[in-house]
Amino acid sequence: MTIQSDDFTAKLMDDMDARLLDFIKTKVNSFIKWDLVRFFYENPNTTDSVENIAKYAGRNTAAVQSELKELVESGVMEVQLVNDLPVYSLASDQEMRQLVDEFILACEDRHFRVKAVYHIIRGMR
Amino acid sequence: MQQRVKTGIKGLDEMLHGGFLPQTANLIEGATGTGKTTLCMQFIYNGIILYNEPGLIITFEEFPQQYYRDAATFGWDFKKLEQEGKLKIIMTSPEVTKLDLERVGGKIETLVTEMGARRILIDSLSHFERLSSDPVELRTIGYSFINALKREGLTSVLTRESPTLLGGAEIDDENIAFIVDSYILMRYVEIESAIHRALLVLKLRGSDHAKDIRQYEITSQGIKVQAKFEGQEGIMSGSPRRMAESFVEAFVKR
Repeated sequence: MTIQSDDFTAKLMDDMDARLLDFIKTKVNSFIKWDLVRFFYENPNTTDSVENIAKYAGRNTAAVQSELKELVESGVMEVQLVNDLPVYSLASDQEMRQLVDEFILACEDRHFRVKAVYHIIRGMR
Repeated sequence: MQQRVKTGIKGLDEMLHGGFLPQTANLIEGATGTGKTTLCMQFIYNGIILYNEPGLIITFEEFPQQYYRDAATFGWDFKKLEQEGKLKIIMTSPEVTKLDLERVGGKIETLVTEMGARRILIDSLSHFERLSSDPVELRTIGYSFINALKREGLTSVLTRESPTLLGGAEIDDENIAFIVDSYILMRYVEIESAIHRALLVLKLRGSDHAKDIRQYEITSQGIKVQAKFEGQEGIMSGSPRRMAESFVEAFVKR
C-alpha cells in the first residue's frame, strides 16, 4: 500500500503538542494573528485602540481590526469599551496566557515554526 | 518635617530636600539621551526595592520590551518585578489613558487598587500634544490628567522631550511646567570641548530645594548626581563661560 504524499506530510506536520496544534488551527490561524500574538507576548500589558495597535505592529488598520476581532472571539484577546472606544488587550485568563507563552516559546524551534506555517497556509486555502 | 517620596538617587534627594512631595506630579525635561527615562525608571525601581512602593510605567512610545532590556543593563529585573505583581509596564496611547482615567473602574484605577501602586511614570508627556492643537485646551487636558493621577494617590514622574540638544527651551504661558508640582531640567552642556550633563531643580512647589546646577552621570547602576559646576556660569545655556571671563566681559570691557 502506498501512502499519498499529502497524507504523509499532514501526518508529519501533525506531530506536535495537541494543545498547540489546536491553538494554531483555531486561534492563531493567520500570519497577522501570529504577529499580534507575538507582539502581545513581548509587551503583555499593552492596551490600546485598533489604530494604535496597527501602528505598533506596522500593519494596515483594516487588516488588524478583523484579526483582533477574531482573536477576541477565540478568547486570546479581550476588548473593553472605554467611552465607546474599543480598547484591546491580551486576555487576562491565566490558562490562555500560558498557552500564548508556550506557543511563542515553541516557535523558537525551527521545526515547530515550519509546522505552524504549514498549518496556517493549509487553513487559508 | 514634611513626608517625602524619595527617589533613592542620593544627590537628587538632597537637591529635593528629601524627595518629591507625596501625590504630586513631577516633570522631568531634557533632550534625547540625557537620561530622563533612566532617572524615572530608577525612581520606580527604587520605590519598589527600597521603599516597598509598587509602581506603574505607562509608555506611549517605547515598547515594554525596550524597558525590560534597558532596565536589565542597570541590573534592574523589571520582568521579575512584574511577575511578583510589584510593577506593570503598560503600552498605550494618550487618548486611551485620558479616557481610562476619566471613567470609574478604569484599568489604571483597578491596577492601583490591586497592586497598591504608589508611583507612576508617564513616558512621555510630549505625546499629549497630539490630543489638541489648541494650547489652552492642551493645558486643560494636562491639568485634568495630572489631577486624576493625584486622585489615585500616585506620585508621578512625567518625562518631556526638549527639542534642543544644548541650551534652554522656551517656556510659554500655556506650558505644562506651570501645572506640575516640580520641574527638573536635564541638559547637555559643553565645557572645554567636552559634553557634560547638568541637572537643575527649577521648581518644587511647597518646599525649598537646591538652586545649584549639578553634574550627573549615567553609570552602570543608573543616574549618579555629582557635585555642582564650579567656576562656571551660563550652564543651562549649553555653553557656559568661566566666571572670570564673564566678570571681565561685564565690568572691565565697559
